[in-house]
Order: sequence, then structure tokens, then C-alpha cells
Amino acid sequence: MIRAKLGNTMNIRPSLLPSTSRIALLGFALATTTLTGCNTVSSPVVRFDREVNYGDSKAVELVTNEFGSTDLQMIAEKMTQSLLDTPIFTGRPTVTISTVKNKTSEYIDTKNIMNSIQTTLVKSGKVRFTRSIDEMQAGVDELQRQNQSGLYKKDSAAKMSQMKGAKYSLEGELTSIVKQNSQTKDVFYKFTLKMYDVEEGTIEWQEEKDIRKTSKR
Amino acid sequence: MLITRKALVASALLAALTGLAQAQSSPTAPAPAQLNPNAANPNTPSTGSAASKLMLRGDAYGVSIAEIRAQRRNEMLVVQTELLNGEKSDRQVYWRYRWLDADGMQVGDDEGWKPQRLMGQQSVYLKGLAPKSTAVDFRIEMNVEK
Repeated sequence: MIRAKLGNTMNIRPSLLPSTSRIALLGFALATTTLTGCNTVSSPVVRFDREVNYGDSKAVELVTNEFGSTDLQMIAEKMTQSLLDTPIFTGRPTVTISTVKNKTSEYIDTKNIMNSIQTTLVKSGKVRFTRSIDEMQAGVDELQRQNQSGLYKKDSAAKMSQMKGAKYSLEGELTSIVKQNSQTKDVFYKFTLKMYDVEEGTIEWQEEKDIRKTSKR
Repeated sequence: MLITRKALVASALLAALTGLAQAQSSPTAPAPAQLNPNAANPNTPSTGSAASKLMLRGDAYGVSIAEIRAQRRNEMLVVQTELLNGEKSDRQVYWRYRWLDADGMQVGDDEGWKPQRLMGQQSVYLKGLAPKSTAVDFRIEMNVEK
């Protein structure tokens, strides 16, 4: 390594050096090689005795047959692809997220599924989302702060009564059927999502995603 | 647009069947410029051999692509791949699409890997829809377990 570096950068060939210099160089090279052999460069991580690694967040998760990240990703993908495949979003209509019921026996954060769906749809640029019921209080608080606190210039404060009502509303539910015997456990999940026209109350789009997970007990 | 191909089985690369066929290429992704002759027109899905669309990780174990169809619906690129298990035993396939724009840049984030059980001699359709209208090309990433 030293030889290569010297040869490349300084154009000094060790064979041309005096014998004492050559011995010194050899000793230095030997010491460097020994040192680098013993010490490996550490990574900028904090790691304790238990081995922890980052994995692929998109990998298929097969740890248990309970509802998992792959199920969430597959459901969200099916719903967004089905929505974007229909001409219903022509003209960038406004949509809001209503309730998504979890009717399974597991604790599942259905808001997470809807967040994934919403993220993909917003990024597609095909639709605009309005505040959902859950998100409304924060919006109202900010409007009141700007209009009633007396702290803001009138021309820069967001005007009241200017919110846009959603044309469509997304409502869904997640159900499961669990069957098991002494050897096998079979879980069947079904996620159903409906998009209602808020004004007319009609269903304008609907999609389902089925997932079957079977495991040995 | 229809891209019809007999597809690959393990080491044998796919034989192009239709007039859309381009030069045979490795299952690992070749340069986008060679795959996307319609890149100048963003409304036209790209053409290319089925082999050029496939990113196969490892052996195919008898699983092959029978046909790939791609078309634009509501401005979005829609792809349907017919996957065939030529063997009598079942195969477990993991797959996902990867979407590319006219410059060969990836559109959106990576999709999640999806599991697909293929029974012996069974064929299935793998449907995909690009997350943005800027996608004009795609790859199908796949690996197969016995």
C-alpha cells in the first residue's frame, strides 16, 4: 500500500532508495499493515449487546399471522390504484376521510391505512383532500388564533367561512374471519372502502381487498 | 399497447414473439434509453421486450412471463403481467413494479413487495398502476421460491 502510494504520488521507487531508507520504509509498511489488520473502522451507530439491524420497510413480513405492515401496504396500494384507475377524479375533486371501522379482534390503527391511501392520492396530484373530522379542530383553532387573537394584520389573516366542503367522503371497514384447529390458524381479512357523494349520498366508487394468512400452530 | 412474449425460464432468456421485439437483453435492468423509444412522447407507454422489463432476482424455477400488456387509462400507466408456473409443483413469487419517467428516473417510492402463491401450472395476472401520470415505463421486479 505504501509502495503503491509512493509510486503513484511521489514517483519514488523503493528499490532506488538507500538501504537504510528501505529498511525504515519496510518497517513502517509492516507496522501500518499490522495496525490496519487489527482495527476495523467503526460505523456511526450506537449498538449494544443485542443485535439490531435495519431491514427493508417494503419487505414481505411473515413474523406472525396477525395484521402487519405488508397487509397495510397491500390494502393501501389496491385502494389507491383502483381509485386512480377510475375517471372519478377528473377535475381534481375534493375528498375527505370519514370513519374506518376496525371490526377485527385485533388492535389495528385503521387511520394508518387511510394515511397511506391519502399520501399516494395527494402525491398523484389527481385529488384534493379537505380536513377530516379528526383534523378539523386544529384548523378551527388556527383560524380563531388568526382572526380573534388581535395579533395578526387583517390582510394577512386567513378569512373565516372560506373552507371548501368535500364533494366525496371515504368510508371503510376492516373485518376478519379467524379459523383454527390444533395444527393450523387461518385468518381472512377483508378491507372495504366506499366513496360517497356527500351531497347526493350515493356510492360513486367501492373496492375490496382480501388477504388470507395461514400459519402452523 | 400490447407487448407479447414467451417468457424466461431460469437461465434461458425470453424469446421475443411480436414485432415490437427489441434486441434481447439481460433480465437485470438495461439502460432505460434503450428500453424507451417512446420517451419523447409521454403519453405513449414504452415498448421493449418482456425480458427488458423483468428484473429477476435469482432463479425463476419454471415461472415465466406469458404476456405483458400496458396502456394509459385516465392519464395513468396501467400494466398487466401474466405470470405462468410451468412446473407441477407450487411456487412462491414475490413481486413489485418499479415506475420510471421519460428520463429513466424512478417515479414515486418503491412499492411494497407482494407475495403471490402460484399453484402448479397456474397463471395469474399481476396488475399495476403508476402512482403519477409522469410514468412512461416500468420494470417488474420478482423473485421466486420453490
